[in-house]
Formats: sequence, C-alpha cells, structure tokens
Amino acid sequence: MIRLKNIKKSFGKQMVLKGIDLTVEKGEVVVILGPSGSGKTTLLRCINFLERADSGAITIGDLSVDCHRATKKEILALRRKTAMVFQHYNLFKHKTVLENVMEGLVVVQKWPVERAKERSLQILEKVGLSQQIDMYPSQLSGGQQQRVGIARALALNPEVILFDEPTSALDPELVGEVLSVIQKIAREGITMIVVTHEMGFARDISDHVVFMDNGVVVEEGKPNEIFHAPKEERTKQFLKRITPEWRYSI
Amino acid sequence: MNIDFRFIVTAFFEIMKALPLTLVITTVPLLIGFAIGIGTALIRLYKVKVIYKIADFYVSFLRGTPLILHIYIVYLGLPLLFDVLAEKWGWSIRSNSIPLIVFVFVAFSLNAGAYMSEIIRSGILAVNKGEIEAAYSIGMTTSQAMKRIVLPQALMISLPNLCNMFVGLLHGSSLAFSISLMELNGKANVVASTNWKFLESFIAAAVIYWGMTILAEKVTAILEKRLRMFIKGGVA
Amino acid sequence: MGKSFDLNLVFDFLPKLLSYLHITLLILVGAVLIGLLVGFLAALPRIYNIPVLRTLSAIYVSFIRGTPILIQLFLVYYGLPELLKTIQIDVTHMSSLVFVIITYGFSIGALFSEIIRAAVSAVDRGQTEAAYAIGMTPIAAFVRIVLPQALTIAFPNFANLVISYLKDTSLAFYIGVMDMTGRGQTLGTATNHFLEVYISLAIIYYAVCILLEKCFSLLETRMLRYERQFPVSQ
Ligand SMILES: Nc1ncnc2c1ncn2[C@@H]1O[C@H](COP(=O)(O)OP(=O)(O)OP(=O)(O)O)[C@@H](O)[C@H]1O
Ligand SMILES: [Mg+2]
Repeated sequence: MIRLKNIKKSFGKQMVLKGIDLTVEKGEVVVILGPSGSGKTTLLRCINFLERADSGAITIGDLSVDCHRATKKEILALRRKTAMVFQHYNLFKHKTVLENVMEGLVVVQKWPVERAKERSLQILEKVGLSQQIDMYPSQLSGGQQQRVGIARALALNPEVILFDEPTSALDPELVGEVLSVIQKIAREGITMIVVTHEMGFARDISDHVVFMDNGVVVEEGKPNEIFHAPKEERTKQFLKRITPEWRYSI
Repeated sequence: MNIDFRFIVTAFFEIMKALPLTLVITTVPLLIGFAIGIGTALIRLYKVKVIYKIADFYVSFLRGTPLILHIYIVYLGLPLLFDVLAEKWGWSIRSNSIPLIVFVFVAFSLNAGAYMSEIIRSGILAVNKGEIEAAYSIGMTTSQAMKRIVLPQALMISLPNLCNMFVGLLHGSSLAFSISLMELNGKANVVASTNWKFLESFIAAAVIYWGMTILAEKVTAILEKRLRMFIKGGVA
Repeated sequence: MGKSFDLNLVFDFLPKLLSYLHITLLILVGAVLIGLLVGFLAALPRIYNIPVLRTLSAIYVSFIRGTPILIQLFLVYYGLPELLKTIQIDVTHMSSLVFVIITYGFSIGALFSEIIRAAVSAVDRGQTEAAYAIGMTPIAAFVRIVLPQALTIAFPNFANLVISYLKDTSLAFYIGVMDMTGRGQTLGTATNHFLEVYISLAIIYYAVCILLEKCFSLLETRMLRYERQFPVSQ
C-alpha cells in the first residue's frame, strides 16, 4: 500500500504541489488526470525522489520517509520499491534491449546473470519483444522502445510502477500496442499510478481516478463517478475540453 | 632554388629512427592524462569540497599557459621538489638520477589531463539526463549510474575529441627537444645541423608528422563511424 | 641548474617581461589579420567547389593540421629565403619577427578556413532560399544573409583559435625573436634563475588568456543578441 501525506513542492516562487494526499491500495490502478502544468509529472517524480518534495511523507509498504529529511539510504530503499516508465522512454542507448531489462536485476538486485537473463527473456516475451532482444534502442520504433521501458520496470518486480504519459511521445498508430501491454500487466494485479491523457484507456484501466489542477487534488473517486458524474466544475470543464465528443447526462 | 632532394630521403630515414620515442612520449601521457582527465572531470562535476576549486584552477591554468613553459617548469621545478622530499624522507636517490623522459611524461600528462578533463566533462554533460534518471529510478546508486550508464556513453561521445588529443600530443611532443630529448624534432635538428641542411631535414620531419596525423585521422574516422549507431539517439 | 629558488624574483621579473608583451601581441594580431584574409581565400574554393583550387586548399589545410607549429616555423624560416632567392629577392636581413608573423598567419589561416567552412554549411539552407525568394542575387544572399549568421556560429571557435595561438607565440624565440619568452630566455641566462622566469611568464600568459576569454565572451553575448530576442522554440 502507498500513502502520500501532504506533499508540497515549489520551484522557486512557484508552488507546484500544494499539499497532496493520496492512498493507493495494493493491486490498485490509479489514474491521475489534469491539465498541462497541474503538477502530475512533479508528483510522480516526488514519489521516487527524482525530485525532492519540500515537505510531506511517503509510505510504500513497510517503508515510511519524511520527504524533507530523507537520507540517501532511505531514498535508495524507496527507489528499489518503485519503478518508473518515462514519457521519452529513457532507455540506456549503449545497451541492447535484453541488457536494458537485465541491468536493474544484475546491478541493483545482484541477481546472477543467468537467472536475470532468464527472467528478462520471460518479461520481454510478455511485452512482445522476443524478436528484438539483441537490438539497440536506436534501432527500435517508439512503441517498441516504450515496451522495453515497461519491461525494464516490470523486471524489478516493484511494489508500484509509475507511468508518466507513456504514450504521449508516440505516433498515433503506435499508441495501441503500448496501451494493451499496460492493460495486460494491470490485470496481473500490479500496483500502478498512471498519468495519461488517453481518456478511454484511463476509464478502462483505472480502479481509482484522481483529478488534479493547479497543484491540488480537485476530485477523486471511482472511474464511473469521475467520468460520468463529476461533482466539481473544474473537472467537468476539463473532461469536456479533452473529450469533446463525450456526452454525459445527469 | 637550392634544395638537395636526395638528402630529404636520407634525412627521412634517419629521423624515422626517432619515431618510436615520439610515439612513447605521445601515448604514455595520453593514457595518464586520460586517467587524470576522468578524475578531474568527476571532481568538478560533483563539486567535491575544496578540491574542486583546485581542480578548476588546474584546468584553467594549464589551458591558459603554453606547453613549452610546462616542460621547462617541470624540468627545473620537479628536481627541486624531489630533492626537498628526498631530504625529508631520507630517500637514497637524488634528482639527478631522474631520466629526462620522466619530465616529459609529467609535463605532458598534466597538460593532457587538463584538456581531457574538459573533453570528458562535456561528454558527460552530453549524456541524456533522462537516462540518468532512469538509472536512479531502477534503484542504482550515484556511482553505479555513473560507472554503468554515464561514463560508457560519455567516453563514446568524447572519442573523436580524445583521438584529436592524440594528434595534439603528437605535435606537442615536438617541444620535448627543448630539454634535449631526441624525438622526431630533436633528431631533425641534429640531422640538420650536422649536415648543414636545415630545410631538407625539416621537410623530412614535416612529412613524418603529416603522415602520422593523416593516419590518426583515418583511424578516428573509422571509429566514429562505428559508434554513430549508439549516439544517434533513442527517441524515435 | 640555477641557484636556489627565490619566489621574490618571480615578482621582480614580471615588469621586465611585461615590457615585451607588446611584441607578443604584435605577433598575435599580425598573424590573426593575415589568417583572416588567407582563411577566407582558402575557404571560398571549398565552399563553392572550384576544381583544382579546392584540392590545393584541402592540401594546404591538411598540411597545417598535420604538422607541429614549430616545424612550420622552421620550414618558413629556412625555406622562404630559398624560395624568394629564385625570384631574386634577398631576405637575409629581414627580421625574424616577419617570419614568425607570416608562419603563424598562414597557420591560423588554414584552421580559420575550416571554421568558416563548417559555419557556412551550418547555416540553414532555407535561409539562402528565402533570400533568393525575395529576389536577392547569390552574392547578396551570401554577404547579407549567410555570412553574418556564419560568423556568429564561427565566433566561439575563432576565439579558441586566437587563444591557442597566443600560447604558440611562445615558440617564436626558437628563431631568435625577442618577444616575451625570448626576453625570458635572456633574463634567465643573465640571472641564472630560469625557473622563476618561467613561472613569471606562465603568470603573464595566464592573465592574458583570461583577459582574452573575458573579452571574447562579452563579444559573443553581443553577437547573439538577435537569438535571445526572438526565441524560436519554447
Ligand atoms: N525542474 C523544474 N524547474 C522549474 N519549474 C518546473 C520544473 N519542473 C516542473 N516545473 C513547473 O511545474 C509546473 C508543473 O509541471 P509538471 O510537469 O508537473 O506538470 P504536468 O501536470 O506534468 O503537465 P503536462 O501534462 O504538461 O506534463 C509547471 O508549471 C512547470 O513549469
Ligand atoms: Mg507531465
């Protein structure tokens, strides 16, 4: 289980997160929605300390850290319980597909190479990349690269995977293959926090939806509630803008 | 015009005998300088307390002063330092038993280290920041990320510049004759003055340097081509 | 070996050496001016792909890039008089300063032509086409549109080149020029305190380098004004 308590973060004078509280149950898929600049990326990056929040507390499983005071050791421990899938994939360019996936197992979790390879191959098969294991990232399409990114995260068997707009850098025709992989692993009961602008996907995949605007959580609830009967005016505005064809009746 | 073409050929073969020495005083400092360069670059990037200021000054000072002065200062200063230390620690050897080539190694390595630290630093900065974050996100420590993700790529990016460094040092080695080391240029000077044929000797020396440079540039081009695949970038 | 090291001498020598700084700078400025001229001339045949001249220019550049500056200096010093003798010009009494400026000028010229060439090809092709589209002649398009942009691109490399040749002027004393380092040699011989002389020299060269760097970076920010005022993306 994951619990964020009163997370605050400023860049200079601009307060980007104004006290975020969030609870994610084990096995739950939480989708975060919100307009551009609302602080979604920043929130994800605060969870694994790619950005250090100014104050607040983060609990993942049995590990609780105070953001302001977290030591290097705590940060490392926290990162080893989480994994992240990036908008721009961020694959290790000098390593092959297989090496990208094995890297964390071998270097961080100290698995023997043979076992790491075996597991990596299994996972690459799951994301449909068995044919590409010896290629370098620059030889892959965007969709393939992002599936490697997902495999790299998945391999570590983290308590939660953070997705930051995993498909927004992709050509439209490649979005589907990545979304279906995410959907597949969601069904396996892996805890996920997903930032996305793909509304249909968000509705299908989520157990819980959080709508953020301007650094605060405006509204949260079951996908049905949020998509079909949002209470807050700002949520309605946002959903109307992003899915103009979407009609809902009260 | 009064040129003895046959003597150019004679001089060429005579001067060529000094090529091995030139290569030694080019490659040894290249390797030592490489180690210094990586160390200095990391110290400056991580702003290691106090010593990063020293590292900054080292790089800026050596890049801001002529190589010939580095040679002279090491040649004259190192023995002084050595003798003071020898006195203090009771070493049995004295500075006059230090072979000439050591001064060249020290001066060139320090010089090369300063330049290479800049090359490596810009290589490190050119590595995609997202990959470093990805390394952290899978739980790597700072040093693991540096060793496994950043440095390998930084070195690949820097490779053409590091090869240029070889050419730079090759040409720089022509100054070693100033402390009477018989490398290519030193040899050319001897051949020139013993035969009283200056122009011919230096033409021969020029041809050797030119040939070596072209060779080095060819090798660099081949290496660069091989590496382009990685550098091209992962974002489709 | 000299006498024992005396730090005070380093400071005593500074003013004595500084009084020869203008010779060092004269070599540098003279060489840079020649270099600019030669560099442009050598770059043109390669930019416009003129046969024969293009090859000659490439060989010239390759030779300069392929040989140490000191060897170039010796070649000019011993070769130029021979060459000029064939056309009945006697230069035996010409000052070595002239040889140094000529050598360094041609040396800078070669590298400068490379910088210019790279900069011109880095200017967006669309710029030339846009100039043609509004009816400019090829020459006008080059002079008014491409060149100003190319110079901006070339400037940082040009600045580095000048600084690296400032340091190379320290080799002029090998053919007997009385520049700052040349004066240092005589000072060293007279006092037998070479180490102090060289440290003094290093301090001066370093100061001049820093000063030049500062000037160049000021100039660069001025040149880049138009890029700041009209940000293209983000
Ligand atoms: N490193 C940073 N330095 C300064 N400001 C930043 C930094 N990172 C983010 N911001 C600012 O924080 C605010 C929130 O950014 P964030 O990337 O979290 O938004 P987002 O909700 O992910 O937006 P999008 O949907 O466009 O990705 C923005 O105004 C942004 O300019
Ligand atoms: Mg974002």
